[in-house]
Order: sequence, then structure tokens, then C-alpha cells
Amino acid sequence: MKKTHIATLKKERFDDFISALARLQKVVAPVARGNGQFAFEPVVSGNEIALDYIPTILPPKKYFLPQHETLATFDTTKGQQMEPVVAYEKMVIFGVHTCDLAGIQSLNMIFSERPKDVNYLIRKSAITIIGYECNDYCDEYASCRLVHNHTPNGGYDLFFTNLGDKFIIHINTQAGDDIIESAGLFEPAQAADLKALEQLRSDKRKLFANEVPVVHENIPEVFAKSFNSKVWEDLGKKCLACGNCTNVCPTCYCFDVIDEPNLDLKTGKRYRRWDSCQSETFAQVAGGESFREERGARQRHRFYRKFKYPMNKFSRLFCTGCGRCSRTCMAKINLKETLTQLVKEQAMTDLKAGNQ
Amino acid sequence: MAKPKVAFFDFACCEGCQLQVANMGELLFDVLGAIDVVEFREVMSEKGPDKIDVAIVEGSITTPHAVEKIKKIRERASVLIAYGSCATIGGVNGMKNNFKLDDIRKEVYGKDAKYFETIETMSVPQVVKVDYLVNGCPVYLPEFVKVLKAALAGLPYQVPDYSVCVECKLNENVCMYQKGVTCLGPVTKAGCNSWCINNGNICYGCRGMVSNPNEKGAKDVLEKYNIPMDLIVNKMNMYNKCREIDQREQKKR
Amino acid sequence: MKELILKDSEYEIKRGKIVRTKMMTEQEKLFEIVLPGGDNLDHDPGQFVEVSILGAGEAPISIASSPTKRDSFELVVRNVGRVTGALHKLETGDEVGIRGPFGKGFPVRILEGNDLLFVAAGLGLVPLRSLINFVIDNRRDFGKVTVLLGCKTPDNMLFGDELESWRKRLDVNLNCTVDKADPEWKGNVGLITSLIPGVTLKPKRTFAVVVGPPIMYKFVIQELLKKEIPDRQILVSLERHMKCGLGKCGHCQINGIYCCQEGPVLSYDRIKSIPEAL
Ligand SMILES: Cc1cc2nc3c(=O)[nH]c(=O)nc-3n(C[C@H](O)[C@H](O)[C@H](O)COP(=O)(O)OP(=O)(O)OC[C@H]3O[C@@H](n4cnc5c(N)ncnc54)[C@H](O)[C@@H]3O)c2cc1C
Ligand code: SF4
Ligand code: SF4
Ligand code: SF4
Ligand code: SF4
Ligand code: FES
Repeated sequence: MKKTHIATLKKERFDDFISALARLQKVVAPVARGNGQFAFEPVVSGNEIALDYIPTILPPKKYFLPQHETLATFDTTKGQQMEPVVAYEKMVIFGVHTCDLAGIQSLNMIFSERPKDVNYLIRKSAITIIGYECNDYCDEYASCRLVHNHTPNGGYDLFFTNLGDKFIIHINTQAGDDIIESAGLFEPAQAADLKALEQLRSDKRKLFANEVPVVHENIPEVFAKSFNSKVWEDLGKKCLACGNCTNVCPTCYCFDVIDEPNLDLKTGKRYRRWDSCQSETFAQVAGGESFREERGARQRHRFYRKFKYPMNKFSRLFCTGCGRCSRTCMAKINLKETLTQLVKEQAMTDLKAGNQ
Repeated sequence: MAKPKVAFFDFACCEGCQLQVANMGELLFDVLGAIDVVEFREVMSEKGPDKIDVAIVEGSITTPHAVEKIKKIRERASVLIAYGSCATIGGVNGMKNNFKLDDIRKEVYGKDAKYFETIETMSVPQVVKVDYLVNGCPVYLPEFVKVLKAALAGLPYQVPDYSVCVECKLNENVCMYQKGVTCLGPVTKAGCNSWCINNGNICYGCRGMVSNPNEKGAKDVLEKYNIPMDLIVNKMNMYNKCREIDQREQKKR
Repeated sequence: MKELILKDSEYEIKRGKIVRTKMMTEQEKLFEIVLPGGDNLDHDPGQFVEVSILGAGEAPISIASSPTKRDSFELVVRNVGRVTGALHKLETGDEVGIRGPFGKGFPVRILEGNDLLFVAAGLGLVPLRSLINFVIDNRRDFGKVTVLLGCKTPDNMLFGDELESWRKRLDVNLNCTVDKADPEWKGNVGLITSLIPGVTLKPKRTFAVVVGPPIMYKFVIQELLKKEIPDRQILVSLERHMKCGLGKCGHCQINGIYCCQEGPVLSYDRIKSIPEAL
């Protein structure tokens, strides 16, 4: 890291920093919602921010791909007349964990791939991202270590790490530098600060364990062989198809497109809304045929969309390890347990094959 | 173009849904701008015209007399909208089906029971053809308006067949299960924008179950959260009892 | 919050004008559509468009006419729901919104010089017709042409007049079958699969093109394999739930592939390793 790209901010100045930033533009950050839950919400001061938070109910994808988004407004008085639109807002997202940074990077790939999604891209270009390092493991659901997202892999303008009495900040882009410059609250990093950061990262290597009996590189292989695994059937028996696991996932981006006319029945809007591959009707066509009728097949689809299909297409796992899907599932379907079962099942099969 | 003639009718229910309409506020004026209300509340009076464009029916069918009435309404109306849980799925009135009919008569009318005829509670679509369903107890007004627009435009309206959780998550509520409280959201049809949970209550399943609920899975979930089975059966029964009539019919076929 | 009107949105629609309609059966209606300024849709046979009626929504519909018909294109729509129902109420002079064409159609360049065996059931004839007419309009460029058609009953048969004109041609072999005949029916009765064994063909130089309802594929492909047609020379067009047509919304996904982008036309060679395809 070049030294000029590093700054520090004293803890006591944090509140000033956020307040100053919020006077210039909208700032959203994690805030506590009770029952150990958090959500990204607009803030005007640093005191509102929950720095020690576990992944928010919804990931920051809601700012890039809003739950409901108007794609066009229409007026049919003189025929099929419509105007494609985008609503966007300049804002800073403060406090994005490394798993969620990876989630945003994944969505960026999807929506910049041709045919490009201009709505997403315009919104993206109006958002500044300030990452925030986890110094400790969130909870038993997180699997960021497995997918190597426990430390930053880019995707931010600024990145904050908490060093106790101060933050050390990596300045990654010009937009990030502009924020540092205009705030006038930051100081150059000293050698001791860099050392502290190094120490913290090396401590993290011990603290963050991979609890799934497989390494990152071998995951695609596991999935290459598990399409007909009994594990999916078992998940199907437990799953209520509520759709929570996909809606909270930072890399689920499926949507439905819906028309909503006004009461005059002439004007109205066409909008998109998050949709879930877990719901019964998602893959149904006229005639009633559904291509993933079994809940187990839908669960399998969800996992394959994280661990296999994007690997083939983008050489990237789409599971960020945030643990949201497991945390939110009332049927207690657990991603780490599922992976473990798949790995174990395969070890058994391989063993049997070897014995023959 | 003349405004479509719309009439409201009610059967066995608490009239809470009509109250909802009366409480519509601003939206009511917009709606009234688009329609012409010809009959409100009075059932089968001579008042309204013979032909109405849209009949909006509330309440469930619990007497032979009601069966006749709803059939007449159907004949008069080009479009029939069943509105509120009592009408669409039998609703709370369906709880009656937990008991033997004779017992109910005795319970309600005492020794005069033999003079009162009563039948199994049925939802409106179990008696006549219904064009649109507005589920909910009471109805969720934005959905009611959505259905009304569909009816006026001559477009079908599909009650969402995914769970209330979907809307609940989009609203970023803290899940009731995180609070250690049970909630029927996962097996209940969406469309109400999860307004109960938005307001701090659990989902009671008032809109009816999704078409293919994982009932076994749901029971397992409740056990995991140490929720007594009876409690939940009662909750489900509260709105979903009339489903049994459909299931029985399906078996016959 | 700022709102911007987009000039380059993929959701923009073109305003198509309906210049002709025809009820083909009780459920299916044909629409002939002209784009603004008489623009050419510029599609490949087998591609589809997203048809919209603002207020009702959008639905993916196969292009039923050949690209050799340049000034207008045709769609055949079965009334099954919200959008298709609204479409059925439209008449000549009305407008529809058009996005597309989308997806990969039939690889006509690869088909050139080969014998063709068309197998269509039900609504499958609609996308296939765009290719059959293309082949007939460029008849010299192709080898032997055989068309096998199946449907429920004779009055369900689409494009009756056109079928007659194909039947009369020297250079097309046409054979039809129905599940249930009526007194006037002179053709075959039985499933479409029953027609395949009777076809004589040179497997190495034959491409089979199959379009029909989801359940049909497995059985027809089995028959074609018995005829020793190579896997990569069996082409199918798969129907899936589709919303965006842009490879984003996820509805059309078959395992790892987006059917709206990589399909709807796919070779058996490709899909036999894709468990969700058939
Ligand atoms: C590539 C492709 C080509 C097609 N070509 C034709 C054609 O040439 N002619 C024709 O009549 N139909 C065609 N279809 C089918 C047609 O798209 C659907 O019948 C139509 O989308 C239903 O929309 P709706 O609003 O009328 O129905 P809805 O009221 O939305 O629903 C009715 C039923 O249709 C299913 N459905 C809804 N939306 C879709 C969708 N986008 N795709 C598939 N099924 C859906 C629903 O699950 C439901 O079972 C094609 C579909 C695809 C994918
Ligand atoms: S959150 Fe759990 S119950 Fe709900 S769809 Fe996902 S896996 Fe199934
Ligand atoms: S699959 Fe689960 S753990 Fe992985 S990114 Fe999605 S929500 Fe997070
Ligand atoms: S509170 Fe109820 S409706 Fe909301 S996500 Fe939880 S279970 Fe589903
Ligand atoms: S949240 Fe549940 S109980 Fe409340 S209105 Fe919706 S369906 Fe009814
Ligand atoms: S239709 Fe949306 S991804 Fe294919």
C-alpha cells in the first residue's frame, strides 16, 4: 500500500466527519433495529451508526436495485406511449462490510454485462461506498472465510478499519480522496498505524476460521457432482418457500416486471420488483407447467446460482459468506451445514467408488 | 363514457371491510371519481337498477336464504368481486365448521334451534362464480383499489401466490421469528404488503394459505420454536377452515 | 431523488400498428404488425418479441412470419391470461408495444444445404412457421423438406390454408396427425411420435427441428435418435416463463443458461447435459 493512500481519523472526530458529510449529501449507514437486527438507513450523525453490527436485514443492494423501481411511465391516450425513466440519488453508503462489498461487485458484473441495465448503472455511478472492516467474526452463520471475503478485495472508494482509538482508512479512488480532502479532519498515517493494521490482519487469520470442510478452490467440484444429491430433497422437505433467503441475499437479483395503471386507466407505470426463485409461480408457464415444481429443486437452484453457474460464467462465487440466508430462515436451513453435508456425502461416494 | 355502476352487498361478516372503504380518505375521492355507486349495504332491495356493472360482495354464506340472495346478485352483475376474508375464504365464520351444525344451532338459538336453518359456512366462490377476489380481514385498501382498477379495465387480477414474507422482507421488518414469536407469514398469500408486521403484529394468515403450502415443514418449524401445536391449528383455523370444503370436493373429483 | 428520462433503456418499446387480425381458432388470434416508419423488424426465424399493452403488461411471443416478409411481421397469440387476453381485444388500427427481437433463432446458415425434418405440435407451429416459410422462400438453398404436424383436433389446426399450399408443393412433404379426428378428417390419428418411424431420411445430412409443448420433446427426440440423427442436428425451441428478455430477471433460467438470451433455440447436443432442459 502506498503511504499517500492511507489516512487516519481519530475516534472523537468520527461524529464530526459523518455530520459534515451528511450536510453535503445523503448518508446511509447501519443502525440498530432491536432484537440484534440492523438495517441501512439514512443518518445525519455518527452517533446513530451501529459500528459493531452483524449483516443488516437487507444488504446494501437495495440502493443499487431498489425493491420497487419504476422502469417507465406511460400514457395510452394517444396509443402505446411510454417513457423509460430512472430515479437516482447521490449518496454515500458508510460501513459496508467486506462481504457486502463483494456482493455489490457481483451485481456490478451482472448489470454491466450486455445488454446493459442503464437504470442500475446510473444509480451505481451516483453512489460512493465507504467500506468497514470486521475485526471479529459476526456469528455462527457467517462463512466469509470460506469464500475469502473476510478481508477487503476492492470495490470501495474508502475503507475504514477500526484500530481502537482511531480509524485507518484506505483511499481507493479519487471520489474517496475528495471526501478526505474536503472534510479536513483526517491525518496522515504513521508507521505505527500501518503496523497496527498489519497486526490486526494477521490476528484475523487466526480468528476467522473456515468451518466448512472444503476449500474455496474445490467448491465448484463439489457442485459439479451434487446435482442429484439427496441433500436437496431433504431441504425441500424443510423449506417453506417463503423466499426470505433470496430477498436478503446480496447477490440475488431476480425480478418481476409489473404494470400498474392509475385510476384513469390511461396513465400509469411499469415497475420491477424483487422476485424469488423460491416461490411456486416463478418458473411457471401458461398451461400450468412449472420447471422447478419441487421445493428441493428450487433450493438446489438457489445454491447453484451462488456456487456453480456464476463460476462458469464470471469465474466468481456469488456467495459472499454474509450468512443472511441462514440467519433469516425460520426452517433453519443453514448454508454452512448444507455445504458440509454435500462434502461429506461426496466423500462417502468417493470412498465407496474407491473400494470397488 | 358513462361511469360504471358499482354496488356493495354484505352477508355474514363484521362489516369491517366496508368500514375500511369508508376510511379510505383521499383515495376514496379518486375512486368515487371513477365509479358510480348505486347501492350500498342494502341487500336485494328494489332500489338499485336491474343490471349493475360491478357487485362488491362482503361476508360468507351461512343460510339457505343467503344462497338465494347471492345467486340473484350474480345474475344482476356483470362483474362480481368477493371482498374480505369472510367472502373469499369463509374467514372467521368458517370456525363454525369445527362443530356439528346441530350443536351450533343449539348453542346459538337454545331450545328454538329447530326453527332456524343453518348450513355449513361457505365462501362466496364456493357458491357462485366470482371474477375477482380481494382477500384479507379486513381488506388491504391499496389492493382493493388495484382489483377495482383491474375490474374496470377488464383485466384479470391474480392474488399473489407467494408468501407474506416476501413483502415483509421487502419492507425490511425484523422477522417475528427473530423475536421468538410465531408468524403465519410463510404460508400465507401475499398482497397485503405485510401491513400487520409493518405495524408490529404477527401475520394471522387472514388472506388464506398459498396454493401449495409445506404444511409438514411449517409444523416442524413451529415445533422447533417450541410453539404448541394447538395454538397454531387454532390460528390457521381462524381463517382457513373453509379450505376443507374445497379439499373434500377435490377428493370427490 | 432525481428522475431522468432515459434514451437508451432496454425497456423502451416501439409502437407497432396492427394492420390485420384473424381469429385462427377459438383461442388463437393472428396479428399482422407494422413498425413505425415501416421499419424492418430484422429478425431470425425462431426469435421472439416482447409484446406489451401498457397497463396490462408484457408477454414474450414468437415471431410467426419469415424475415423474407419485410414490411410487416405476424404474431399468433393464445388467450391464456392478462396480457394475452388484452391482446385478443385489439383490432386493426390499434397499437401494441414491441421490444426485441430477442434470443437466438434457428441457425439458418448452418441448415443450408441440408435436409430438414420439421416436427411441430400445437402452438409450436407458430415459431416453426417463420423458418418453414423462410426455407420455402429460399427453397434452392436447402435439401429435402419434410413437415410433420400434430394437434388435438382438426379445428385446432393453425394456418389451414397455408398448410394446403405447402401440401400442394412438389418440394415439400407434409404429414399431419390429430389426437382426435372429426368425420371430415382424412389424415392420421395418433400422437406426433407415430409419424416419425415412417419418414425415410439420410441421418447424416438431416437436421430435425422440433417445437411443441414441454412434454413432447422427450418422446420426439427418442424417435429421432432411433433414426440416428446426430445430437447436434436436433434443434428444439424451449418455452420458459420470461419477463425481461435481457438475461437479468432470472425467470427463464434453465440451470446455468438464460433461455431468453442463449435460447429459445438450442441443440439437443447442448441441452442433454442440462438436466432442467427437458
Ligand atoms: C419464447 C416464447 C415464445 C412464446 N410464443 C408464444 C406465441 O407465439 N404465442 C402465444 O400465444 N404464446 C407464446 N408464448 C407464451 C406466452 O408468452 C404466455 O402465454 C404469456 O406470457 C402469458 O401471459 P399472460 O399475461 O397472458 O398470462 P398471465 O395472466 O400472466 O398468466 C397465465 C399463465 O401464463 C404463465 N405466464 C405468465 N407470464 C409468462 C411468461 N412471461 N412466459 C411464459 N408463461 C407465462 C403464468 O405462470 C400463468 O400460468 C411464448 C413464450 C415464450 C417464452
Ligand atoms: S428462508 Fe428458508 S424456508 Fe424460506 S425459502 Fe429460504 S430456505 Fe426456504
Ligand atoms: S447465499 Fe447466503 S451467505 Fe451467501 S451471499 Fe447469499 S445470503 Fe449471504
Ligand atoms: S415476520 Fe412473519 S411475514 Fe415477516 S418474514 Fe418473518 S415470518 Fe415472514
Ligand atoms: S399480514 Fe397476514 S394477517 Fe395481516 S393482513 Fe396480511 S395476511 Fe392478513
Ligand atoms: S426473461 Fe429475464 S432473464 Fe430471461
